[in-house]
Amino acid sequence: MKKLSISKIIIYLFLIIMAIIYVAPLLWVLMVSFKENAEIYTSPFGLPKAPTFENFKFAWTAGKLGIATLNSFIVCVITLIFSMIIGSMAAFGIARLRWKLARLSLTYFLLGMMIPVHCVLIPLFTRFAKVGLTNSLIGLIIPYLTFSLPITIFIMVGFFESMPNELIESACIDGATIYEIFFKVCLPLGKTGLFVTGLMTFVGNWNELLFAMVFISDDLKKTLPVSLSKFVGPYNTNYTQMFAAIIIAIIPTIVVYCAFSNQIVDGLTAGAVKG
Amino acid sequence: MDKLLRNKKAIAVFMAPGLILFTVILFVPICQSVYYSFCEYKAITPPEFIGLENYKTLFKDKTFWIAIKNSLFFLVFSCVTQLIMGLLLAGLLTNIDKGRNLFKNIIYLPCVLSSAALGLLWMFIFSPQFGINKLIETLGVPNYSVDGPLWLMDTNGFIVLPMWVIAFVSLWQYVGQSMMLYMAQISGISKELYEASYIDGCTKAKTFRFITLPLIRPMVATAMSLNAIGSLKFFDMVYNMTEGGPNHMTEVLATHLYQQGFKYTKYGYASAIGVVLLVMCLLVTAFINKVVKTEQYEM
Repeated sequence: MKKLSISKIIIYLFLIIMAIIYVAPLLWVLMVSFKENAEIYTSPFGLPKAPTFENFKFAWTAGKLGIATLNSFIVCVITLIFSMIIGSMAAFGIARLRWKLARLSLTYFLLGMMIPVHCVLIPLFTRFAKVGLTNSLIGLIIPYLTFSLPITIFIMVGFFESMPNELIESACIDGATIYEIFFKVCLPLGKTGLFVTGLMTFVGNWNELLFAMVFISDDLKKTLPVSLSKFVGPYNTNYTQMFAAIIIAIIPTIVVYCAFSNQIVDGLTAGAVKG
Repeated sequence: MDKLLRNKKAIAVFMAPGLILFTVILFVPICQSVYYSFCEYKAITPPEFIGLENYKTLFKDKTFWIAIKNSLFFLVFSCVTQLIMGLLLAGLLTNIDKGRNLFKNIIYLPCVLSSAALGLLWMFIFSPQFGINKLIETLGVPNYSVDGPLWLMDTNGFIVLPMWVIAFVSLWQYVGQSMMLYMAQISGISKELYEASYIDGCTKAKTFRFITLPLIRPMVATAMSLNAIGSLKFFDMVYNMTEGGPNHMTEVLATHLYQQGFKYTKYGYASAIGVVLLVMCLLVTAFINKVVKTEQYEM
């Protein structure tokens, strides 16, 4: 019995060290973001002497992170709504409707998970430039939506397939059309799945950097990761402002994560267990 | 009901938006990209077919080989370390009760944060003036902020130090994902199997080796292919920590593609890099699934 408790202590010690490695960097950035710029050279690791919000104000307005947060929010919400509708419709078609190519089209969608987005960057960029979709948020929403579809469809197919047949049968007998069955019976029942996929889509798109960087060059239309990368660069020397910018960029996801961590975890595992 | 579910019009309505979007935005551009890779294509002039020229230049391009080397290093490093650390953490966390969720959530947290922001954060931590070197100096090693290693600037060795640093940071960020996948799989294993093995006199280590490990093998394949594709696609962190520098020593395929395509607008050439990347992704996934995945056991 004694031996067991020693091994437990070692396990906990190890986990606590891991936790420190994870939390310390974030706390450090948070602390520095409240300091004056001169203070970072004199005492980079102490508590801020006179906590100030000036850094946040500067990053939010002059660093254009405020408008970037708004842009990110618009892009992510619209993408989220459409990917849920289009994705769950296709998932319903694959899981419930009876046609020959259902499985094949699922494979087609899932291939999208294996393909690196970098490959489509150039053709998409040139085509979008021709039709004037670069430098607009719509031009960002369309690819984001497309790349969100595979995971949405994958998870939702699982949900629709696990629904009992009797539900659809009884709705059928009551004279519902197929659209009513989808919108009034299946979709409300697949709420959990939708929520989970929605969260994952949102977080994924919120963090996307490459597409946003290539497609948007107008400062007022940049999304958060792009504005952040631009604001925090080798030419900026005001470190505390940059630290505040980093905090602004990660706070929204931390809040979402704290509120929904269990669902996010479920979504992640649901998405991969069957793969 | 059968008639209702076989209705051709309904099928078309449900499937069309997704399929059209997917084809137009993903599959047509991929084919285009393959075509562009055989073309001389700069920003202003239309693409002009030149056969294998781009690939020939590519294979003579020193930076391309550095990028391949770094990408492969990333691939191997992340597959191996994520497997070990992920399994270790998952094994430890499934063995404790108090604080399991807390530790799990803390370690998973960086996975949902922007790697662009975290890359910047770690860039500051590894910067000589006030990051980790300064901390070591404060803790008692004199002059360490001057004499300590230049984490993100060093250019010696086959795999340069900045690459190790970036690989470590990416492990830090994404190990939570592997851990979570393994934990889900481990908690799905029936308790009776473990009880039986304890009755037969197995130690904890042995049960892990002969019960847990074989049963989570399918998940190892899944997690590994996710890691592999993720590490080949890796862009945000490298871009924000070093931008491929110093002197292209930390260039990976994705940053090289971005540089060539959008800094120098060599679309054809960058497409060729994209095709190499695509082929590597498909090969690696196929390889991992062939080697690691075995038959599913009944649990």
